[in-house]
Amino acid sequence: MQLTIEIKRYNPDEDDEPHWESYEVPAEPLDSALSLLLHVKWHIDGTLSLRKSCAHGICGSDAMQINGENKLACSVLVQDLVEEDGDTVTFAPLPSAPVIKDLIIDQSRFFEKYRDVKPWLITDGPAPEREREQSPEEHAMIEDATKCIMCGACTHACPSTWADPDYLGPAAMLKAYRYTFDSRDDGAEERLDVVDSPDGLWKCYTIFNCNEACPKDIDITRWLSALKRKAATSQATTKA
Amino acid sequence: MAQTNALNWFLHRITGTFLIFMLITHFWVQHYDHQAASVTHEVVTEKGEMPDYPEEAKAGVRARYGEDAEVTPYQVVMQRLDDPVYAVLWKGFNILFLVVALHHGFYGLNNVMTDYIRDPMGRLIARALSWTLALGLLIIGMYSVITAGW
Repeated sequence: MQLTIEIKRYNPDEDDEPHWESYEVPAEPLDSALSLLLHVKWHIDGTLSLRKSCAHGICGSDAMQINGENKLACSVLVQDLVEEDGDTVTFAPLPSAPVIKDLIIDQSRFFEKYRDVKPWLITDGPAPEREREQSPEEHAMIEDATKCIMCGACTHACPSTWADPDYLGPAAMLKAYRYTFDSRDDGAEERLDVVDSPDGLWKCYTIFNCNEACPKDIDITRWLSALKRKAATSQATTKA
Repeated sequence: MAQTNALNWFLHRITGTFLIFMLITHFWVQHYDHQAASVTHEVVTEKGEMPDYPEEAKAGVRARYGEDAEVTPYQVVMQRLDDPVYAVLWKGFNILFLVVALHHGFYGLNNVMTDYIRDPMGRLIARALSWTLALGLLIIGMYSVITAGW
């Protein structure tokens, strides 16, 4: 089939504003959306800029807005984006982030928030001689959250992020959940201090956009709700 | 210690749950079930029958909304709030309804404001103004409920 590909282009050296450009691209139903972009880059316009690394839904580098929804370009098939020959597929950078060029956004703020929640194991005691053990039941608490590949699709699909760039966002707070509920971690208190803030947990209004955007189908809203309950309980315990 | 919002978030959930039941009760009694709206202690314990709407109220309703209109007249609401026993129940219900609705609404409003006001001083002023407005509405509402019918 032949598809029309519309890409939101922006070159800060030449453009005042982003603009849309169209390309005619041959495609098969089982092609990935990423292959459409690579066809444009390799055969039509080599100046098109996008992030792409593993192309297999592991690295999370090619999250972008496809047909108006945040998705991983490598993990969505053409047959799920169009109905028939001649249809149009649109590509735009993830919303609410500064655009460096074309489909590449500046992720520095996204990763600053990630570091803010201390996404590592914090332990009080001495290191054991062998590994820190965790039972299957304990791991089940965090397994869903460990699937996060930090693509940013969720955070940039969140209206709270669109409204307030300082908001920590679902990706960072999911990491906070993942470590706070890890049975081997002792850092809940200092991590809760970060997420229990005006730009943290309480700006999650359970809209579920993050769940819909997540390419790994992580139940993000559920885990953020668990983190809210933990923060509220922690506050109540502290005051008591 | 972080500036927590945990308590307000928790109360927002609680008040939201309350509002589901209180709104249903309010709408049913106030706007749909005119018999229940006109039940008073006096009716149940002494007269044993439902009061009819005052003639002038019925005429007013008919004139404004047509012959088949069913609208709870103001006088009937006042009659309920004038009852020596049931009035306490309804006044208590209305005051709780007022407090719950104000907290729920103004917490939501504060969330929206802090979404769009980034400046810390601006946030503080907006928060102070909104909660002052809530307090004013609480005072007016409580005054209206307590004095109604009495």
